[in-house]
Amino acid sequence: MRSIQVCGAGRAGDGTNTNISMLGQVLKDLGAWAFVWREEVYSNIQTRDTAFGLRAADVPVYGPDDEFDILEAFDQGAFVDWTGEGRVPPLARLRKGGIVLYDSSPRLEYPNAGHEVRPEQVEAELKAREARLFGLPMGRMAKEQFGNYIVRGTIALGVLAHMLGLPEEAFARRFVRIFGEGSDLFRLNLEAFRAGLEYARAEGWELPDLRLPLTPREDDERQLLLGNEAVALGSIVAGCRFYAGYPITPASEVLEYMAEKLPSVGGVVFQADSEMAAAHHVIGGSVAGARAMTATSGPGFSLMQEAISAAGMTETPVVIVVSQRGGPATGLPTKVGQEDLNETVFGGHGDFARIVLAPTEPEDAFYMMEKAFNLADRYQCPVFVIYDQMFAQSTYTTPPLDPSRFTIDRGKVVAAPANGHNGRYRRYALTEDGISPRAFPGMPGIHTIYVNTNEHTEEGYITEEMVVRKAMVEKRVVKRMQLIVRDRDLPSPVVHGPADAPIGFIGYGSVYGPVLEAVERLAEKGQKAKFMALRTIWPFPGREVRRFVDSCRVVYVVEYSATAQLKGLVQREATGPMPRKLRSVLRYDGRPMTPGYVLQSL
Amino acid sequence: MAVYTPEKPLTAAEITGPGAWWCSGCGDFGVTAAFKDVLVALVNELGVPLERVFVMSGIGCSSKEPEMLRLNAYHGQHGRSIPVAMGVALANPNLVVVDFGGDGDSYAIGMEHFVHACIKNVNMTLIVMNNQVYGLTRGQASPTGHLGLKTSSTPEGKKVRPVNPLKLAIAAGAAFVGRGVSWKKKELAELMLRAIQTKGFSLLDVFSPCVTYHREPGYRGSGAIVDWYRLNYVLDIQEAWREMRDQVFSEEERAHLPSDYDPTSPDAALYALRLIEEAAKMGREVTGLLLVNESAPTLEEALGVSPERAPALADISVEGNLERYRKLLAELR
Repeated sequence: MRSIQVCGAGRAGDGTNTNISMLGQVLKDLGAWAFVWREEVYSNIQTRDTAFGLRAADVPVYGPDDEFDILEAFDQGAFVDWTGEGRVPPLARLRKGGIVLYDSSPRLEYPNAGHEVRPEQVEAELKAREARLFGLPMGRMAKEQFGNYIVRGTIALGVLAHMLGLPEEAFARRFVRIFGEGSDLFRLNLEAFRAGLEYARAEGWELPDLRLPLTPREDDERQLLLGNEAVALGSIVAGCRFYAGYPITPASEVLEYMAEKLPSVGGVVFQADSEMAAAHHVIGGSVAGARAMTATSGPGFSLMQEAISAAGMTETPVVIVVSQRGGPATGLPTKVGQEDLNETVFGGHGDFARIVLAPTEPEDAFYMMEKAFNLADRYQCPVFVIYDQMFAQSTYTTPPLDPSRFTIDRGKVVAAPANGHNGRYRRYALTEDGISPRAFPGMPGIHTIYVNTNEHTEEGYITEEMVVRKAMVEKRVVKRMQLIVRDRDLPSPVVHGPADAPIGFIGYGSVYGPVLEAVERLAEKGQKAKFMALRTIWPFPGREVRRFVDSCRVVYVVEYSATAQLKGLVQREATGPMPRKLRSVLRYDGRPMTPGYVLQSL
Repeated sequence: MAVYTPEKPLTAAEITGPGAWWCSGCGDFGVTAAFKDVLVALVNELGVPLERVFVMSGIGCSSKEPEMLRLNAYHGQHGRSIPVAMGVALANPNLVVVDFGGDGDSYAIGMEHFVHACIKNVNMTLIVMNNQVYGLTRGQASPTGHLGLKTSSTPEGKKVRPVNPLKLAIAAGAAFVGRGVSWKKKELAELMLRAIQTKGFSLLDVFSPCVTYHREPGYRGSGAIVDWYRLNYVLDIQEAWREMRDQVFSEEERAHLPSDYDPTSPDAALYALRLIEEAAKMGREVTGLLLVNESAPTLEEALGVSPERAPALADISVEGNLERYRKLLAELR
């Protein structure tokens, strides 16, 4: 693999995100596999330090590497922890011999202009890293030549384009897509880009050692999308036509994408007044017959627990996306965590059937949404799709996604008009497999669809009688889980690495990329390792996990949780305690897992 | 589509469920009887297919309403019937959604949803069986319990200010605001029908006395609590309009007022609020039809759904949408 990793470090709202995202888009257009992530983002819109990472490679990549080849310093925060809060500035991850492209302008009088960048303050560290410094007065150029401070990121792109040998046309094409052909913003950005390009050419700045061998693809249909967008898109193709949600990081992009696109296919999006309301709206939408979903994160997920219990009791199919962030409570709103696994698997009061799916990367997620909605309808239960902020808010390059691969299975639905049951439809009819055919209000001739959160009879009427109660519990939970476990649509774990490897890793969500690469690096050092990525968490794939663990000498469960929630599930559902064999690689500082982090924890 | 014809009309017996939940003499029986009359009229006279009626309820004595019926229904959790009803209404605007709440259900634990439903103007009807107590948990004071009301949770009499749902609904912009009483079936049925037919969110609060737990000094024995309401508590809006005009309105205003209270007047919201305030000074609560205003767009209209464009009935086939899906994918390259 050949890859290049760039960090743009500035202040929130100063265009750093745009700078890195555009560079990622252009590299993807030129044939690379680009991955863009939020290296450092606070729950803040302007003024705090911010850093975005870009990795581009000649093969698909699913996560960041440990070190940056290039650091774009738009603010002194790239070098120093100027607030003194114990922050680790991005410079700490610059590789030996790495490039620093910094804004050499004096401090500008702009509201969000930030701190003057002064590499001399970190001279010793730069020297120790043998950093190659390039000072570009981009802020001043932006102000003096273009009268617009925000284009300094575009000037920096021009410089990087020259240094890395990236063609101007590739940037121009993206500017057209983003700003509109011939628009003022298009012209402004193209001119700023050219100013940077010319500056670098005049200075003779070249970086031949960092150039990726890139070949643009013919009819490149690869996607470039956020994890959250892949989930939203997959849900639309899976037939979701009802979305209710409440804004929350890192799940809002699902709401936003749905708000923009769902009405165009006949769906409705409602921004509810709380997650509690949203989850109940979703139940209503589903009872009315629509495929319905919501997406949230920890605090909102807690508010949904009541509705989740109701969906379980009423046998209402709902799809709930749990995009985890650091907790508990408000926790780390913009940073990664995997602390809500237990709440997803065990939350909602009472016993009921549920399914928990976990995509590894966006291509997986896109197709997994088909399974999520089909399973929800087939088993008339809540289906959770769980992942984390690094997956949700990172941009991945995926192979072309194919909607024609989807099939829609709505499970058991009565044929209208109903004529069985003496003309009387029974919502909870006891059937051999325990699944009662659904009917939707408005179906001609059916006016007895009674959905009930109390314990109920076959007709849906309240009962507390022990015989009916027992039959209903067995129908709703016991038989249902037995059926679900055997369903071939449950995504199976994927295992990477040689079967006879003595070192094993287990994980889910965004640890996928970093652990894959950790396994590869061990192999390069002659150490055999393998990795089982879980894609169904509930029902827990106990047999597969047990076999995997049995085949290893030592197994590391890699997760973003101080209490090792996933390892706890492995022990509970598959292996028992196994204190010597079963170990953990944990991260709970809110920062992304990397291959090096995994390896140094062994 | 209608199953019921003039030759074979819908009867109340066909939509009567097996439920036997309420105490003898409970006001909720009156509410149920009126609702059945309304349903029969809706189906037989107004041609609404019975299968399009969807009844909701939460928790409390009121929530047993679907048990007394045989209809498409959802019996949900405490306070959460409104958001579920909103979901049903948004997913399929062909449905007639009628939610039965209690005063604890709608005005305490579900208050958030109640106020938002008024503001959002979702096209549904909320009928609240208001009895001032939590009957199903044995008689604690509810949010509508009047000051001084003695219950098991207010042994010295209620000291915390009660909620006034009518004022709230008016202020929050509900399309229909009215209050019925359970012992006057015909009037109650008229209010219900009007509420259901109103486009937008309808609040019909109904005094539905609890004969078991609502005790007032001097009113002992079965049925006495209805007398208390009749003699001491309620005041019809038309009567209030006639009797309180002099106190409420200035001479200048009175010159322009119609002789009867007009709930469809553009000023009805302000008039109603003033009459409610004035009645409260005498310890009275107004009843009747306070407000009908269909001028605001419904939530359905605001979000672009309609009977013809119902999300629950949308084409979700992959073949039928493939071109649109491919376009969405192409945007993300």
